[in-house]
Amino acid sequence: MEGATGADPSVSAEEEKVRPQAPQAEQGPLLYHEETIDLGGDESISEDSSHFLDKLNEHMMESVLISDSPNNSEDDAGDLGCLRDVTEPGLAGASAGEGLRSLSDGSEADTDDTPRDLSDLTSDSRASLKEEPTQEEAAGTPVLEDAGADVLAPRAEEQAPAPAPAVPSSRPAKDEPVPVCTIFSQASPTPAQPQLFLQDGFESQMVKSPSFSSASEPSAKTPPQAVRPSPSLSRFFGDTVSGNSAASGFFDSFTTSTFTSVSNPHAGSSGPDKLSPLSSPVGEKSPRPSDSPYPLGMERSESGPSTASQDGPDSPRPFSQIQAVFAGSDDPFATALSMSEMDRRNDAWLPSQRTRDVLAAVATQQGGTVFVDKESLTMPGLRFDNIQGDAVKDLMLRFLGEKAAAKRQVLSASSVEQSFVGLKQLISCKNWRAAVDLCGRLLTAHGQGYGKSGLPTSHTTDSLQLWFVRLALLVKLGLFQNAEVEFEPFGNLDQPDLYYEYYPHVYPGRRGSMVPFSMRILHADLQQYLGNPQESLDRLHRIKTVCSQILSNLEQGLAEDGGVSNMTQENRQASLQLWRARLGRVTYSVANCLLLMKDYVLAVDAYHSVAKCHPEQEPQLLSGIGRIFLQQIGDIKTAEKYFQDVEKVTQKLDGLQGKIMVLMNRAFLHLGQNNFAEAHRFFTEILRMDPTNAVANNNAAVCLLYLGKLKDSLRQLEAMVQQDPRQYLHESVLFNLTTMYELESSRSVQKKQGLLEAVAGKEGDSFNTQCLKLA
Amino acid sequence: MEVNPPKQEHLLALKVMRLTKPTLFTNIPVTCEEKDLPGDLFNQLMRDDPSTVNGAEILMLGEMLTLPQNFGNIFLGETFSSYISVHNDSNQVVKDILVKADLQTSSQRLNLSASNAAVAELKPDCCIDDVIHHEVKEIGTHILVCAVSYTTQGGEKMYFRKFFKFQVLKPLDVKTKFYNAETDEVFLEAQIQNITTSPMFMEKVSLEPSLMYNVTELNSVDQAGECVSTFGSRAYLQPMDTRQYLYCLKPKKEFAEKAGIIKGVTVIGKLDIVWKTNLGERGRLQTSQLQRMAPGYGDVRLSLEAIPDTVNLEEPFHITCKITNCSSERTMDLVLDMCNTSSIHWCGISGRQLGKLHPSSSLCLALTLLSSVQGLQSVSGLRLTDTFLKRTYEYDDIAQVCVVSSAIKVES
Repeated sequence: MEGATGADPSVSAEEEKVRPQAPQAEQGPLLYHEETIDLGGDESISEDSSHFLDKLNEHMMESVLISDSPNNSEDDAGDLGCLRDVTEPGLAGASAGEGLRSLSDGSEADTDDTPRDLSDLTSDSRASLKEEPTQEEAAGTPVLEDAGADVLAPRAEEQAPAPAPAVPSSRPAKDEPVPVCTIFSQASPTPAQPQLFLQDGFESQMVKSPSFSSASEPSAKTPPQAVRPSPSLSRFFGDTVSGNSAASGFFDSFTTSTFTSVSNPHAGSSGPDKLSPLSSPVGEKSPRPSDSPYPLGMERSESGPSTASQDGPDSPRPFSQIQAVFAGSDDPFATALSMSEMDRRNDAWLPSQRTRDVLAAVATQQGGTVFVDKESLTMPGLRFDNIQGDAVKDLMLRFLGEKAAAKRQVLSASSVEQSFVGLKQLISCKNWRAAVDLCGRLLTAHGQGYGKSGLPTSHTTDSLQLWFVRLALLVKLGLFQNAEVEFEPFGNLDQPDLYYEYYPHVYPGRRGSMVPFSMRILHADLQQYLGNPQESLDRLHRIKTVCSQILSNLEQGLAEDGGVSNMTQENRQASLQLWRARLGRVTYSVANCLLLMKDYVLAVDAYHSVAKCHPEQEPQLLSGIGRIFLQQIGDIKTAEKYFQDVEKVTQKLDGLQGKIMVLMNRAFLHLGQNNFAEAHRFFTEILRMDPTNAVANNNAAVCLLYLGKLKDSLRQLEAMVQQDPRQYLHESVLFNLTTMYELESSRSVQKKQGLLEAVAGKEGDSFNTQCLKLA
Repeated sequence: MEVNPPKQEHLLALKVMRLTKPTLFTNIPVTCEEKDLPGDLFNQLMRDDPSTVNGAEILMLGEMLTLPQNFGNIFLGETFSSYISVHNDSNQVVKDILVKADLQTSSQRLNLSASNAAVAELKPDCCIDDVIHHEVKEIGTHILVCAVSYTTQGGEKMYFRKFFKFQVLKPLDVKTKFYNAETDEVFLEAQIQNITTSPMFMEKVSLEPSLMYNVTELNSVDQAGECVSTFGSRAYLQPMDTRQYLYCLKPKKEFAEKAGIIKGVTVIGKLDIVWKTNLGERGRLQTSQLQRMAPGYGDVRLSLEAIPDTVNLEEPFHITCKITNCSSERTMDLVLDMCNTSSIHWCGISGRQLGKLHPSSSLCLALTLLSSVQGLQSVSGLRLTDTFLKRTYEYDDIAQVCVVSSAIKVES
């Protein structure tokens, strides 16, 4: 660097002094001048040195070369300008020649292959060093795939300069000996959480891409007089193979079992008023929203929870029916009373002023009509038919053949009861795709099926719960775009027809939001997964504001919505508890969102406030904050401080969980200090105390790999998966396992297929097959 | 070589994986309340998920380690670690296996293998593992060259090589500014910008001064006896964030007096930067020697030793000047002239002889002047003439002084 390149600082520095006009003209009378230290030429390796120099002069900046370690002078910074092999001339002759050629060729290939690499990345985003085209192994592994540029001639290692250059030159240009790695730069901006944004491979097929513009169509049509369940229900049953449910059966199960499941004593919810929408099914009597301003038959309905109980007797009639359902509860009236208390507490929400005006108008109009703008109505509908399909089975068909695939049995939407019961069954056995499908069917029965978006409809407690479940499952499946599309008609979840007050006939006396609180959280959280964390934060803070306002109302002796109340002390406490928990939940989401935004300072603050809402989670949260400092930031000292706090807190509560937490944190600290052996010791220690600890098991195996013990690591993970496939066939574990298979041998595909078989026997259709890296 | 020989199957397979630090698995929390349709189902699903934190399932950042998913970026000053695995894919025992890993940079070739001894034999389905580490000291293209040679059962000597190419990028952008104080102190502002794509924790940024200087770091403030960093609680740099460090350099006594020594281009010292990223991945860089052009004082330097900051209008005040002979070996005979400007009026005799001044020696002068104009006034108009060379040195704008009306009481 010293001589020829002349980029050494002294020269340029002097130049700057000799001709001070340029900088001083810019700087004016200031006494100081600004310099840039170039940490050693940009990527101009292939540029010749004179050009390099020109560039420096052009910038008129003092260029300083960074040398790596304290003892290193600039001498070994080496000549960046040109490639010169300084090693032994024997082998080096050949290798340097090759090196040179491959470097220059490589840069050509860079440009050639960029598109391909990019596509690799987007489709898989796990691409690593790009592999040689001749290599038939799947792309997208962290394994540095070889270049296949083997010098094939069987010869001893230290060979004299062979006619090696001739070999590659005879090859076509594509047969590049050097694997080109072009995935640097912006390609992977968040290595920490890439899986969050992984696109599900199924999406494109699943989204029926119909004209969403049809949303505007309805205005042209004559508005339907009433909203009825979709008449084409039979379509579903025609499709089903099992055919065990007739259309009438479907309706039965939808109505009656819906009722039973909602009033499931476990849920402890569902008042008599829930019955009314069912006893007077969506139809004539219910409000008829249409796209033109429409009339609402009105009746003075007493508002306020306290009066609701008085209304009790004359609102829902079929008490006998309720009694039949609530086998346990002896006094239907008392039940109804406590239900309404609970409903009020749960459904409380503070609508915006505009919505409040509309609702007030609805409440005060006696037999008159209220005109509601179509804009402010919620008209949801399914936006894609179904996302049925089983990726596991598809893979089995591809790799294991039809016979094996035929053995794969998962529940589909048709194979369960067409009711909430069936829905829960699908969810708990992790057949979320089928569950999404079933939600769709139930919603279709409610008149909010495919293509109904933008058409007037009415809402019930159940329909919104179904929407919530469907959207929540879509998010769980990582189908964020789909969830977004279907969420869209709900606006900001504050339209008047999403409040009970809007339906005084159907829900006499009931007030508050039909939209479950969890759906609001989901609605806010979704945006961050779509890459709009700022929008998420805005929504979350809106929710937080309402929570805080309701809490302050309660503390001032008012009702949740700020009205006068004569709540019993007991009920007030219950309500306070509920809303504090909700405030905690929304704060959790805020913290998670900030973490995703990498705003660690604010995220840590937010987690601290979560700890105030949930004191029982303090040790976990402090550990989590420690991990943020360690993993995301790299600040080991602060991480250690938090881990010490955890140790103090857990000392008070002795028990296995506390001890494990402490050991886990110590292990992480060693990881941060690059001491994998010590970390492994701590993870193993946890396993001694709790042999089923999946995290410790997996982490110990990861440490082994970093210690150069691939086979041991594999053995540990394989044993773990075999030990309890139900629990350990987890995405993260399988991802680690397949990565190691790829590193281990060229026959990783067979081993991955073994995993696929294991998965097929245990996992539902929601399994994310990407972690198997078979595609 | 007119016909490509049929591609020969090698008995051994070589796999290489870069070992960046593992990451923690994050999950997407979806919860519901008991009253909702799924009841406790969603929460139960999260509790059953082994990647969630036991007891705090909503916490996104779990404890499950996952292996690196892609090659990622590698930056100057970081350590490149890689797993090299040679696996016997065949069903025969292979002998005399030698695995060699070299790193070819644009300037040199380094051997990274832990051992250069051959392995006597490798049974089927067994592997030879090696983890290599290398602190990256060059920017630009690097090529990892892995060579494997072995002997088959039939005694045939086999050999193959594979190349892995990667780019080493620049992690930081460092800009410096020097500010020369009236005294011999030099202030150095160093702006350090994170030009990577991930947050960076600055573990250490220090200036190692050259022989001639002592350094004081000005990056913390004393708050009630506690040293608090000027950067507050934000101990890390987000991508593209810049942080400014300030240092004060004072020439050591022995150099300060011999004014001649600090002149022209001087070496100030170098910055030593240590940072950490994901899970404590460490990087370290040093700049080369920072150099600065000492302000040119010519042969004769006039500096101010004392001056009041605020003075009364039309009232005389005193300043003390120090005149130093900066020439190498010439003794000077100097004459001092004082020229009035529109606002500054000198009191005393102009054109007086200052006597002989030996090389590298200095003398102090007390001068009296007054200002006839209010406001911030520049002290100008001193002229020194070297009688021997007949050369005149002009000293204007040597200091500023605030002139206030005498009606306002000036405290001391």
